[in-house]
Amino acid sequence: MNPYSGKSFIGFISVFFHRLSQWVQGDLPLTSLASDEIQMLVLVIMSVATSLIGVFLVLRRMTMLANSLSHTVLLGIIVTYLIFSSFMSVQGTDFLRIDVLLIAAMVTGLLTTVLTQMMTQFFRLQEDASIGLVFTTLFALGVVLLTLFTRNAHIGTEVILGNVDALHMNDLKMIFWVALLDLLVIGAFFKEFQITAFDSSFANAMGISTNKFNYLLMVLTAATAIGAFRAVGVLLVLAFLVVPPLTARLLTHRLRPLICIAVALAIACSFCGVALSRHFLTVYHIPLSTGGLVVVLLAISFLLALTVNRARARTRVL
Amino acid sequence: MIEIFSDPITRAPVIGSMLMCLASSLIGVVVFIRRRSLLGEALSHAAYPGVVFSVILASVFFPFSEEIFSVSILVGAFLSSLVGLFVIDWMERRLRVKSDAALCFVLSIFFGVGVLVASRIQITHALWYQKIQIFLYGQTATMTDVHILIYGTLAVLMIGCLALLFRLIEVVHFDREFSEAIGIRARLVDGCVFFLLILAIVIGIRSVGVVLMSGMLIAPAVAARQWSHRLSGIFVIAGALALLSGFGGNFLSLNIPLWFNPSRSKQFLALPTGPMILLTAVALCLFSLLFAPQGVLIRGMRVIRFTFRCRMENILKTFWRHREESLSFSQIAHAHKMPAFVLYVLLMNMRFQGVIKKEGNLFSLTQEGDGEGAKIIRLHRLWELYLVKDMGQGIDKVHRTAEEMEHFFTPELERELTTLLGDPKRDPHEREIPERREK
Repeated sequence: MNPYSGKSFIGFISVFFHRLSQWVQGDLPLTSLASDEIQMLVLVIMSVATSLIGVFLVLRRMTMLANSLSHTVLLGIIVTYLIFSSFMSVQGTDFLRIDVLLIAAMVTGLLTTVLTQMMTQFFRLQEDASIGLVFTTLFALGVVLLTLFTRNAHIGTEVILGNVDALHMNDLKMIFWVALLDLLVIGAFFKEFQITAFDSSFANAMGISTNKFNYLLMVLTAATAIGAFRAVGVLLVLAFLVVPPLTARLLTHRLRPLICIAVALAIACSFCGVALSRHFLTVYHIPLSTGGLVVVLLAISFLLALTVNRARARTRVL
Repeated sequence: MIEIFSDPITRAPVIGSMLMCLASSLIGVVVFIRRRSLLGEALSHAAYPGVVFSVILASVFFPFSEEIFSVSILVGAFLSSLVGLFVIDWMERRLRVKSDAALCFVLSIFFGVGVLVASRIQITHALWYQKIQIFLYGQTATMTDVHILIYGTLAVLMIGCLALLFRLIEVVHFDREFSEAIGIRARLVDGCVFFLLILAIVIGIRSVGVVLMSGMLIAPAVAARQWSHRLSGIFVIAGALALLSGFGGNFLSLNIPLWFNPSRSKQFLALPTGPMILLTAVALCLFSLLFAPQGVLIRGMRVIRFTFRCRMENILKTFWRHREESLSFSQIAHAHKMPAFVLYVLLMNMRFQGVIKKEGNLFSLTQEGDGEGAKIIRLHRLWELYLVKDMGQGIDKVHRTAEEMEHFFTPELERELTTLLGDPKRDPHEREIPERREK
């Protein structure tokens, strides 16, 4: 029995905090998470991971590469699935354990980045043209493989668009590990990431290889995108990566506040997104895509931040 | 192969996607040379919410008219893509957001809005939802003659516009300041190009889908760029390659499954056409990148041949310095740092050319090789003398540049240098400059 069914937006929040206090007091075991709570936790943890990575992607001007990655993980997921399903008997997406996922992320992240670099250096193409060529090719390969082996085009759209309602405990565990990995890596190399983000030639002079950190960032992005694809699909994850940092960028110019604002904003939007999705279902009987809802909320927050930014600019002029 | 055009089932999809490929490749060339290749990626995703809205509106108001349905999707996609373009432009200009971030922002937000609205009707109106999902990967199989008519008109319109604008685009692209100085309004030309770009995207997403659209813009342009330096040439080749990939994609998507199970042709599964069109285009593009006159292989061959020639000339110089004696393989290997295998091949080649001869285990110069060696030494020393005498360089610095220049000299240059220096006999290091020999 889902305690959230039939609740409106306010009701959702009150039930949530009630259950949270119960859990803090030890009355509620972790295994009895309602599906709404799983969705919310997955989205919230995911948005922590994505906005953290996204800040550096935006600063390094690598968002288009991230876009390319978010497409190519489709191929990574499918190839890993094919390999593992031929070795072990697995059903559905249960094969996505953290170790398998990491391998898939490494392979797709490195493959995409290396191929794109190869196109620019070996074939002397413009960078954006090579990004466009590589990811569309790998994505097309992924779609073709998917249709060949599943003989069903429906799974295709689910991979693209995600399905929050199909999430369960395993997804929560996985996204938790991914977020932890992101946090640990970014935390451990914070100084290096900071320097490469702002002044790559200075970083090189200091003996910090920007190239190495680019690859690291790409692998993290791939891992995050794979962790997120069950929830929001491979395309919408881009909004989670790019929009929070851009919004925070309107409000501050310093790195640490930037990260904090971006993460806080993404968490708030994810939380409200799940609550609103429940609200629409209860009050208007409309099932909406939670992922799409969160993205729209992110867009609204961007517009709000924009008005704040404009108002500030105006007072500064006066 | 021909029956694919006459078969009433496959005719419309094949011709439709060929027209679509043609349109996108032509405008793709302009976008590619303007270095805005990924704009197409953002704008095609930005068209998605327009598709969603217009499918809903058209299904509500005109449920039975196939023509109005198709046209309204085109209009809706066009409008929302246009809004996306304005947002990108505004973010780059007014907010000073970096281009890539602005593109990703518009791409993901617009797509998210589309997903949200589409999810509203996913369960209540499953048929409409299916029609919307077609535009994700594209679907050519359900095209009819109406589509050919619409796409044909639009494609002809686009080709006409591009032909009219061709000179302007050329001038604006190659020298923007000059074009503005002679009174061309570059912003207006840009506007037209973006207008055509959106038009091409709107035509294209029906066949290859919003996700793969950008590849169809880029791949033919990149391929054509390898075959031609001229803008007009690039346009023609890109168009031809695009037509080929539009046809090839459809052909392969029908035939590859047949190759794998020829017996069960009744219930075969056609591969998705959109991805197959793109893969065909990319295959053509890779082929061009590798084998075209400006492609990697030819360029690489030239580099390798040049390095080989330089090395052979260096070996020849060694022989010439010791022209009274014969040298063993190990002596030559000692003077030149390169793998023994390469040296062996080079020596074989030189024997084949007749500049050295082998007696027992020893190599020595032939008569012809003596002349060739003298020529290179002469070029080297002439250049050294020129640098010291006419350019005022220090004697100790000139050897290294001469080591490189000696491989580039043409006979004409040598003659010029000889007259300029007054047919000298000694180089700056007081060594003899070999006599000039006419052939």
